[in-house]
Amino acid sequence: MRKSSRTLVALALMLGLATLSGGAAAQSAAKQPIVIAVPVGLSGVNSVVAPAVVQSAELAVEELNAKGGIMGRPVKLIPLDDESGPAGAVKAFNTAIRQHKADVIITMETSAARNAGAPIADRAKTLFIYTSFYEGRACGKYLYVNAWVPEQIVSPLVKFMTNEKKVKKWFVLGSDYAFGRGLIEPAKKMITQLGGTILGEEYQPLQQSDWTAIISKIRAANPDGIMYATSGGGPNIDFMKQFKAAGLKMPVGSLSIDELTAEQGGNAAEGVYYTADYFTSIDNAENKTFLEAMKKKFGANLKTPNSLSEPEYDGIHAYAMAVEKAKSTDADKVAAVLPTIVFKGPRGAVQMNKQHHAPLPVYLGQVQADGKTKIIQSFGLVDPGNQCPNLK
Amino acid sequence: MYTTQLLDVVTTAGVLYIVAVGLLVVYGVLKIINLAHGAFLAMGAYAGVLTTWAGWNPWTALLLAVVMGVAVAALVEWRVLRALYARPLDTILATWGLNIIVVQILTLYFGREIHFAESAIAQPISVAGVTYSQYRLVLLLIAVALGVLVWLVMQGTQIGVVAQAVIMNEELAQALGINTRLVRFVTFCLGAGLASLAGALLTPLVSVHPNLGVPWLINAFMLVLVAGVSLGNLALAALVLGGAQVLVSSYGNPVLGSLTIVILAVIILRFRTITI
Repeated sequence: MRKSSRTLVALALMLGLATLSGGAAAQSAAKQPIVIAVPVGLSGVNSVVAPAVVQSAELAVEELNAKGGIMGRPVKLIPLDDESGPAGAVKAFNTAIRQHKADVIITMETSAARNAGAPIADRAKTLFIYTSFYEGRACGKYLYVNAWVPEQIVSPLVKFMTNEKKVKKWFVLGSDYAFGRGLIEPAKKMITQLGGTILGEEYQPLQQSDWTAIISKIRAANPDGIMYATSGGGPNIDFMKQFKAAGLKMPVGSLSIDELTAEQGGNAAEGVYYTADYFTSIDNAENKTFLEAMKKKFGANLKTPNSLSEPEYDGIHAYAMAVEKAKSTDADKVAAVLPTIVFKGPRGAVQMNKQHHAPLPVYLGQVQADGKTKIIQSFGLVDPGNQCPNLK
Repeated sequence: MYTTQLLDVVTTAGVLYIVAVGLLVVYGVLKIINLAHGAFLAMGAYAGVLTTWAGWNPWTALLLAVVMGVAVAALVEWRVLRALYARPLDTILATWGLNIIVVQILTLYFGREIHFAESAIAQPISVAGVTYSQYRLVLLLIAVALGVLVWLVMQGTQIGVVAQAVIMNEELAQALGINTRLVRFVTFCLGAGLASLAGALLTPLVSVHPNLGVPWLINAFMLVLVAGVSLGNLALAALVLGGAQVLVSSYGNPVLGSLTIVILAVIILRFRTITI
């Protein structure tokens, strides 16, 4: 008798524990965080811009959690280092998917890193929202892009310089690598379409920072205007410093400069025209709120938001809206509704509804004497063109 | 067109000479290739950034650069290099290590992003009917002045004569009671100071970032290989190799042009009969 009562007590205890732990398990499934992985170049060539990308992501996640998360589940951010290249991206994507069980990867990366990471995400059926502008035509069932491709940036700039600056005879030049040549190619096509002529086309090796020979060729050709695409950052400033010191004065369009580089270059890039989908000076309520929230959150440590870092913020919010609408984190279900999602953010309304790419608001900026960029024209929504004809 | 090209050739030679002279001085006396040369160039360029922040006259950057370069070089020669002269291969490792350390310190303090340094001269000037970069012409004058100055020091001063003795035969010089340790110390500091000076002189042409010295180090290295230990040869090498680079870039394209220095250096080394 005593023995059986003991057994009964033990049984009751075990049952009670089982119910308790069962309840806890059910609860944790509901409250289990949604994991957003951000593999980004914290080291290597992208390490200048990567901290700004992570800050954009941190703000977006903080805003989501403040509203109670996505579908009532908290959002967890996992930033990872992809070392700005393919080898690091493979490691980072595998870590994100296997170790952290990421529900989605939303990030800005180099093209090499993206090309290495995208197949891993694809095989694991993990949604991948790519938030970096790039050379175009990267396609995949689970790959979505919310930043610009050359079609969106090049045409408006060439049109502006042809029509407003009366540039008919052009000199085009760039750094001798995929991005430089990849942007000059569509620029040349657009120039000839608009009836312009190309007097010269030159490419400079990446490691060479003395532009003397090309500048002398420009002087000899005497064009109405210049279109250039160096690699990002410093080379823009190298070229513009030497261009100006040589006394050349024709209008210059740049396909490679960005707001931050222009500002760091002081007066070197004064007068240069360039197009982008994001400038800190965009005048709308969303951008003001975004910048104020960024300043409040990061204070003195704020990395100036730019066209490479801001789309990260849009991407996370668009994903959250898609999950709410699909009522699931299943990649196929989220991917099915993602093209219908319109997120009205600092750039304007962005919707990834064009073959997994997004028509984007494009603005024309001009670098001022203090290095700051002034927006002088808005082109409205510009279509990305046929990026992935096999996807709808 | 021809005037512009002539100016391109001589000014490019001038820039190359300024960048390489510090490397040559160190190689001549110490018989080591200072692989931290690029880091000293970068350090000099950041001297330009510091003077811009302080709001000083851009020319003061030159002085600050030399002071910074000499100070770091003095410390490194005294604590590290001095112990390694008997092991020339290890000096390559040590100077390359120094290069990494200096570049990382610059990165930690200034970040990887580019910085702005005020230029002393940004306007073009009219020469023989063509508008040309005034600063490049000034650089040419500075190159000539530096060349003459270093030559005068080598020929006309006690330390120069002693240095020449060390270049020719170090053991003999030592046996004659010359303090070769001091000669090595002074030369390394001088070479590093010249490298930093070159870095400061480059800032009106290029943007300032921690790795700015790397491409220049490669060209300087080629020139010194070709020139050996003679300042005159260095000027000639800068003119021939730099000139060829400009002409190939102008009549061909810059991609071929950038190969020219390397290819010519190999050819010259293969057929050069004068041994050092």
